[in-house]
Amino acid sequence: MGIERLRLRIFIAIVIVAIGLLTARLIHLQVINAEYYAGESEKNAVRLRVTQSARGLIYDRNGVLLVDNVPTYSLTVTPRYFDEERIPLLARLLEVPDSTVRARLDEASAWSPYQASRIFREVPFQIFSRVEEHLYQLPGVEFIVDDKRHYHGGVRASHVYGYVKEISERQLDTRKEKGYRQGDRLGQSGLERSYEPALRGESGRRFMMVNVHGQEVKSYREGSEDVPPQSGANLTLTIDANLQALVERLYENKRGGAVAIDPRNGEILALISSPDYDPRLLSGSVSQEVWKGLQDDPFKPLFNRATMSGQPPGSTFKPFMALVGLQTGVITPQTTVTCHGVYYFGRPFKCHGGAHGTLTVRDAIKRSCNVFFYTLMMRLDFDKWSKWGPEFGFGVVAPTDLPEVVSGLLPDSAYFDRAYPRGWTRGYLVSLGIGQGDMVITPLQLARYAAALANAGTLHSPHVVRSAVDPQTGEAFDFGLEPSHRIPISPEHFETVREGMRRMVMENNSTVRWGDVVVAGKTGTAQNPHGEDHSWFMGFAPFDDPKIAVAVLVENAGYGATVSAPIAGLMMEQYLTGSIDQHPQFVKDMALRGKSEGMENGEGMQWRHYFDREEGRVAAGMPR
Amino acid sequence: MQKRWYMRLDWLTLFLWAAIVCFGLVAIYSATHGPASEFLLLTVQNNFSRQLVWACISFGVMLVILLLPARFFQTMAYPAYAMSMLLIVGALLFGREINGARSWLFIGPISLQSSELAKVGTILAIAHLFGSAREQASVLGRTFLGVGLLLLPAALIILQNDTGTALVYVGAAPFILFWSGIPLSIVAILVSPPIAGYLAVVHLPTAIAFSVLFAIAMFFGTHQRSIAIASLVIAGGTAGLSGFALTKLLQPHQVARIVSFLDPEAYRFTSGFHVIQARAAIGSGGLTGKGFMQGTQTQMAFVPEQSTDFVFSVIGEEFGFIGSFGLLCLLGFLMVRLILLGMQSRHAFPVLFAAGTVGILFVHVLINVGMTVGVMPVIGIPLPFVSYGGSALVANTTLLAIILNLNMRRDEFPRYAI
Repeated sequence: MGIERLRLRIFIAIVIVAIGLLTARLIHLQVINAEYYAGESEKNAVRLRVTQSARGLIYDRNGVLLVDNVPTYSLTVTPRYFDEERIPLLARLLEVPDSTVRARLDEASAWSPYQASRIFREVPFQIFSRVEEHLYQLPGVEFIVDDKRHYHGGVRASHVYGYVKEISERQLDTRKEKGYRQGDRLGQSGLERSYEPALRGESGRRFMMVNVHGQEVKSYREGSEDVPPQSGANLTLTIDANLQALVERLYENKRGGAVAIDPRNGEILALISSPDYDPRLLSGSVSQEVWKGLQDDPFKPLFNRATMSGQPPGSTFKPFMALVGLQTGVITPQTTVTCHGVYYFGRPFKCHGGAHGTLTVRDAIKRSCNVFFYTLMMRLDFDKWSKWGPEFGFGVVAPTDLPEVVSGLLPDSAYFDRAYPRGWTRGYLVSLGIGQGDMVITPLQLARYAAALANAGTLHSPHVVRSAVDPQTGEAFDFGLEPSHRIPISPEHFETVREGMRRMVMENNSTVRWGDVVVAGKTGTAQNPHGEDHSWFMGFAPFDDPKIAVAVLVENAGYGATVSAPIAGLMMEQYLTGSIDQHPQFVKDMALRGKSEGMENGEGMQWRHYFDREEGRVAAGMPR
Repeated sequence: MQKRWYMRLDWLTLFLWAAIVCFGLVAIYSATHGPASEFLLLTVQNNFSRQLVWACISFGVMLVILLLPARFFQTMAYPAYAMSMLLIVGALLFGREINGARSWLFIGPISLQSSELAKVGTILAIAHLFGSAREQASVLGRTFLGVGLLLLPAALIILQNDTGTALVYVGAAPFILFWSGIPLSIVAILVSPPIAGYLAVVHLPTAIAFSVLFAIAMFFGTHQRSIAIASLVIAGGTAGLSGFALTKLLQPHQVARIVSFLDPEAYRFTSGFHVIQARAAIGSGGLTGKGFMQGTQTQMAFVPEQSTDFVFSVIGEEFGFIGSFGLLCLLGFLMVRLILLGMQSRHAFPVLFAAGTVGILFVHVLINVGMTVGVMPVIGIPLPFVSYGGSALVANTTLLAIILNLNMRRDEFPRYAI
């Protein structure tokens, strides 16, 4: 063999070995580990984009749109892909100084250079479109479009709606299996919370191809694996927007809560807690200033007083006393008690307005005679009396679709044993007969009770949502409200008590009634040793066919008749006639001028007028 | 009867050339026409059409070269070499910098890479040097002169700041020496440093073991103690020097560039980025590939330089193992074929010219594909005939055409053995 052939063979061998080595590596990459690298390349180039579903819309009972959604634009930057030389361009487009962009960018880099961070939230639409046109010059910059709640109908209803907020780490931990992801929104209170599963809808998925700069270039596999989002269910409320707006207006400078219920079915027609806040404050991104301000405000605007804050019911409790007395046989409609202006049980317990003389139960209610009900209380067996409370919804959590509710308090002997460990006597019970002392009832509970009085004995589950309908399928959600409850008291006794309440309104010069509508009701004053008394009113109308029952509480505002009764009267007229034209002006003035102690100068009202103030406007005039 | 010269044109080589160039055009098209292409540099977006023009120009150059007489190349060898060196120096003095290398000359709208074009003159000169000296008198002197002819352009190209291309010049030396008649043992000693150096980067003890085994093998192969000692000193010295350079001499970023292919994840967002993306592209291609224009890595421009140095990743991703192995085979066949064409002539010049050409092609293929599949450090040199680059395509085609020419006209050379 010649040296040339040897050289040739060596050369060919070298080429084969080299190609062989490279081929071995190719087999390693492309045959053995192909799947792994397929995953790697997919991770690289395919980005899962979760498309938020549109949260369900909210309508009032007459189909008036109350809540829908508007898009908000957040600008994100992935620092690793962002070219710092483009800071001036971005700053110019956003109309902010370079230093702002630089500072936000540094923050984002500190958090993660490789992940997109939102550096500008709620970018106005025209700026969004301007930046969008220049996105090709801005690698690493993207927009995220979110929805935020948008409110209509001239009502705040902040405690009815509640608010929506980005899900927190802790909330996410317990909701991962329900499909929640970081950045999702979650109803935090009110309807937004209790109807979250219906309102939420189902988020969609879009698979996008991204290039090396993180820019989304086109859909993956022509969108064949994308899933469109499903909108959440639309809620139709039982709330009457006009009534709600009126009550909100009437609660100017007042602390307390009011609830109106349809006594035929438990539908809540209006629910207000005051001080309240403009729900727009908590829609979308919330500034630290607003969030801290709301939480630290001593007037607690976030707290739902209508469902969570109770007071002793005062004289509004007397119909309950009368019913228990009649049903247990302790009194009959003919039983009389003579009032000399004071009742003695160890010490004197005063009536009001002097001596009422000899009274039947009807007149005792009409004239709100304390001595009658002191006497009745002391004739009743305390433990049996306590058991009647839950029949009327006292001392128990109301079965409602609003998440923030408390049980309040109706005492029994076990409670007194706990509360007075050094012993207590029957003398402690006397004031319970007139709804004072160790007793806590919320406006919601009182309204529910008023509705039961109106319909003569049916205790409904109060609720704010009439229906929730999936807009895609037209299917209705069923939330399984607790069925109504029949109070085991004879209807004739209800008639006796209702008659007393009718007389209370119709035979006194009451601010509640108007025109020829027959209204029944009862004022109440919860004694407050620390300041002004709390003013209550509960009642219903029309007397023969009640369509609305209301409970109104204005804290630290004096007698029930002076503030709460006018408000209740206006509410009833508004709901039944669609206006408040028939009430005399002085009633409207009484309702508006009444002020809670400590709020005379609008203290605690700033959050409901936040935007008015921001825009330099002052809300004025009575609503519709 | 003696055939007419043009009847002897080697159509197989021409076919291989056309096939490989088409492979490249397809890959470049795919890399520059995807949905992410609008984010590429404007100059890169036009790479396909420009490469198409360059392919046509190359074909024209090939035709012209095939028409030239065989003697022409030997006559022109030294002038061509001088011209080449002038080109490099010219680029160094008046040229423009692209990607950090000052190796570009601009003639009107055309930009030429001097270091690529200079390959032709250099190989002509070195083939002429070894091929025309008949007496065996001073093998050593000739060898030194030959190596010098290679080192001069290599040094100038290093001055241009293009170490990768310089390495190709140096890497081609053993191939030419291998065919030039110097003892195989010397060639073996010349080949050992790159191997020892590579092993030192990967695993230093292996490199030292290699050096020792290499010296022992050389001793038993030649029975000359001096050769064995020289082998040990050169291979072991390279290994030791590489190890020393990596740990003590070089700056961390330089070390990172060299060793990042070993553990690219550790350099994910710096020098390992190319390696990771190219590996993901090739690996995800699997056996049959994702299809033309369907590679996510390619279409979304994840692999940097994917129409130039990393063009192999496009083929790996879109045409899979079948495509990439096919291309490697085409390149392998071409190299073997070119050597065979050279050897058909009995004169030393064509053989050595083919050896030099193939040496350069071999180093290009090995390093380029090696870095793309992640077994070599990232050294920015193109894949011949495939990567985008007009100067390289014209230069490589010229080399190939000269081999074809010399082969067609092999009877015009006097017969003598090398």
